[in-house]
Amino acid sequence: MRSVFSVILAGLAIGLAPAARGDAPVFPFRIESTTLPNGLRVLSIPFDSPGIIAYYTVVRTGSRNEVEEGLTGFAHFFEHMMFRGTKRYSAEAYNAALKSLGADSNAFTSDDLTCYHMTVPASALAKAVELEADRFQNLEYDEPAFQKEARAVLGEYNKSASSPYLLLNETMQEKAYTKHTYRHTTIGFLDDVKAMPTRYAYSKVFFDRWYRPENCTVIVAGDVKHAELVELAKKHYGAWKRGSNDVVIPEEPEQTSEREAKLGWPLPTLPIRYLGWHIPASSRNLADHAALGALAQAYFGATSPLYKSLVIEEQKVVTLGADAESKRDPGLFTILVRARSAADLPEIQARIDRTLADAATTPLDAAKLAAVKSHLRYAFAASLESADAVALAASYAIAVSDEPDGMNRLHEAYAALTPADLQRVAAKYFAKTNRTVVTLETTPAQSDKESNK
Amino acid sequence: MNLLSTIALAALAFAPAAPAPQVTFLPSEGSPLVSLRIQFNVGSAHDPAGKEGLAALTAAMIAEGGSEEMSYGRILDAFYPMAAGLYGGARKEVTTFVGDVHRDNLDAYTAIVVGLLTKPRFAPEDFERLRNEAIDELTKTLRGSNDEELGKWTLQTRLYDRTSPYGHVDRGTVAGLRSITLDDVRAFHAANYTRARLHLGVAGGTDRAYVDRLTRALEVLPAGGSAPTLDVKQAAPRDGLKVTIVEKPAEASAISIGAPIAVTRADDDFYALAVANSYLGEHRTFNGKLMQDLRGKRGLNYGDYSYIEDFIQEGGGTFPISNNPRRVQYFSIWIRPVPADKTVFALRAALWEWKRLVDKGMTEAEFEATRSFLLNYSKLWVQTPSRRLGYAMDGVFYGRDDVVTELARRLPKLTVADVNNAVRKHLSFPGFEVAVVAKDARGLEQLLRSGKPTPITYDTEGTPADVLAEDREIAVFPLERVDVRIIPVAEMFEK
Repeated sequence: MRSVFSVILAGLAIGLAPAARGDAPVFPFRIESTTLPNGLRVLSIPFDSPGIIAYYTVVRTGSRNEVEEGLTGFAHFFEHMMFRGTKRYSAEAYNAALKSLGADSNAFTSDDLTCYHMTVPASALAKAVELEADRFQNLEYDEPAFQKEARAVLGEYNKSASSPYLLLNETMQEKAYTKHTYRHTTIGFLDDVKAMPTRYAYSKVFFDRWYRPENCTVIVAGDVKHAELVELAKKHYGAWKRGSNDVVIPEEPEQTSEREAKLGWPLPTLPIRYLGWHIPASSRNLADHAALGALAQAYFGATSPLYKSLVIEEQKVVTLGADAESKRDPGLFTILVRARSAADLPEIQARIDRTLADAATTPLDAAKLAAVKSHLRYAFAASLESADAVALAASYAIAVSDEPDGMNRLHEAYAALTPADLQRVAAKYFAKTNRTVVTLETTPAQSDKESNK
Repeated sequence: MNLLSTIALAALAFAPAAPAPQVTFLPSEGSPLVSLRIQFNVGSAHDPAGKEGLAALTAAMIAEGGSEEMSYGRILDAFYPMAAGLYGGARKEVTTFVGDVHRDNLDAYTAIVVGLLTKPRFAPEDFERLRNEAIDELTKTLRGSNDEELGKWTLQTRLYDRTSPYGHVDRGTVAGLRSITLDDVRAFHAANYTRARLHLGVAGGTDRAYVDRLTRALEVLPAGGSAPTLDVKQAAPRDGLKVTIVEKPAEASAISIGAPIAVTRADDDFYALAVANSYLGEHRTFNGKLMQDLRGKRGLNYGDYSYIEDFIQEGGGTFPISNNPRRVQYFSIWIRPVPADKTVFALRAALWEWKRLVDKGMTEAEFEATRSFLLNYSKLWVQTPSRRLGYAMDGVFYGRDDVVTELARRLPKLTVADVNNAVRKHLSFPGFEVAVVAKDARGLEQLLRSGKPTPITYDTEGTPADVLAEDREIAVFPLERVDVRIIPVAEMFEK
């Protein structure tokens, strides 16, 4: 039987789905914004989620802001401390209040932001404003509580430590950066995490420095009225005082020679090669950033010739992917390969090198570029499926660009790309002298055991 | 009605009845996305003995192996501009293919999905790739790079022994996967991917006419008969602590604790237990006693939770994953990795919390606070059409409404006595199965068998007196009838 769908299938031009609707902004929601006199930005993003709101507080401080020696991981640690209570709401009372609302509440930290979020009934807006305004201004905890939480953070490190990816990331960051604070991962150097219980005094400095209204944005997405939110925000956040600090995030000097690290893993693992090249921040060179994002997709994504030959046909590689990191300061273009056998790594590396070299000299097929643009647009659109997801997207945009709809600029830049743009960035950023190569393999003792079995 | 249509109707009445598949359709007009959940009533529990992993490998061969008309590479090319995909996974009793697509691309997407399900390519090279991937998942990822998952799967495979259809990892065993042939996959597909076993789920921005078209397109699947019989017996209660230590290099110990329970969403008591479980350890919240006491007051680790159903979501996911219905369930406590020297203290602390709940129950105030929480919180589980759809389909399996609707209907009628009675009836276990991923298995075994106190030593200051008093109770919490088995990690999931 030939179904309606198989008729459609027969007529489908592979690689070219109907073009994504290119005229409307990719983040289609209206954002209402008010900045209070103290600098706190308050945003409403109406979204069709009857009876539900997502309440996000974005602190534009992440592990990027950890400039002092020995104090890496503090932004993330501080995220934990924010649940330790105030005079008015002890940690238990804060949690009981959230529990009574049926809240889904948590927080997370990255290089560029610390983000506190709760999803609650829309009727709980006033309570949410009151609770959040209180803890951002009046956080209070004693040293024993601080020390216990420091050990929960070590537990968080421990839960990730059985994965080789933590080690790979730590090594890539530490090798690729020499001065900039992206040199450490968000959870921090292990020695610093272990020493956290002794840093109580510094934690007060950290809070005083970064938890200030001009460094924060409150986002409420979902079933919300902006005027009501602003009135509540004025009442509860109005007395929050601006701060000041003279912290300078060090600039990363240009890399002038290739860097390399070889890592062992105590258990059988597939060998992994992880490559990184410095690229500009989207805020400084949006066109190049967008072109690098498209290049990652076109040459290393699941529809690229390299992926098809290495993963599907020859089956030498299990995982292949690339990413142009979107960060506030200059990040990395990374490629990750998990191979079946370490013996194939030199050949795989040579083919990656050749792919990048060819990308600089041969223009990408126009249909392929159209498919990449369509993919990026639909993938982003599909991510905006709940009030929570909408607030999250705005939070990341603020972290990177300070604009809640900054993703629209990025997607406009994607839409404007030509094959020549991809050639330009392929020629510009992939010199060996700008490259860091990290390789992880099973330690020889383990390989021997494995092969003897 | 004209003559022609009367004749057509009459003809229809005499045609052999094609079994109509189960359909769950949840339209959501405003949504630009359409979600599909195409489910077959067959899962890893139906893997033939010696071919463990066949259901999951068949699902992978369909979702990631191409169709007769299109190779996998061409499928990727076609899905790519839509940013769509098809994700297939076998759980114990069902196999579900999940995909979301923008409605701009719905018909083109559906055509490809129908081709994959009804006319899979089953090419030898895809078989090799996907079987190797499954073996790598067991031998490299589970054994070597994720101790939390390793602990959880160890618990499951020990709780239901090898003779149980539930007794292996859904992805299979190494020996089972090695013995599967491409012909096995073909035969499994032919026998089980039938209209009789199909449950078609559609949600989001589309209409009934689309669902009817999709249903008709899937009519090329064989009619099939009723689901294969499945002899799943509930695991026997444990007498004392049956501990499996998976030995591997690990700085911290991952712990999973479990015991069979005679309750699923089909039972009234499930909903009373849901309140008690939320109080003890609602996943990824700070509300549970386990989380507050082990992490909050003691800084033992990153998280501590409890469950009254099979727990499969990764630690990062918050809400229960749908499309994992099972006819028997188990209770479990998940202790995320703790420093090696605190392993036995953490195990004792978790058991102490469980025992306190069983002995003392919840107070009226605790019950009211938890019930109110769960009533609101569970509504967040269904924020997207796809999630709503998954829960609705699970409701069909259990002969109930979706779990969120059931909670909303039942919780207001519950009393604290109902909950405490359900706890005493279902959670008063004579023992537990325990899985620990740890280094120095011998040392841990000796400590467990000795029954010696395991006091906690803090490297932090100012632990409050009431916590220290509890610590003294926990340090001597009886570990009864301890039986220890040590398995080197390289032997896990082998057969």
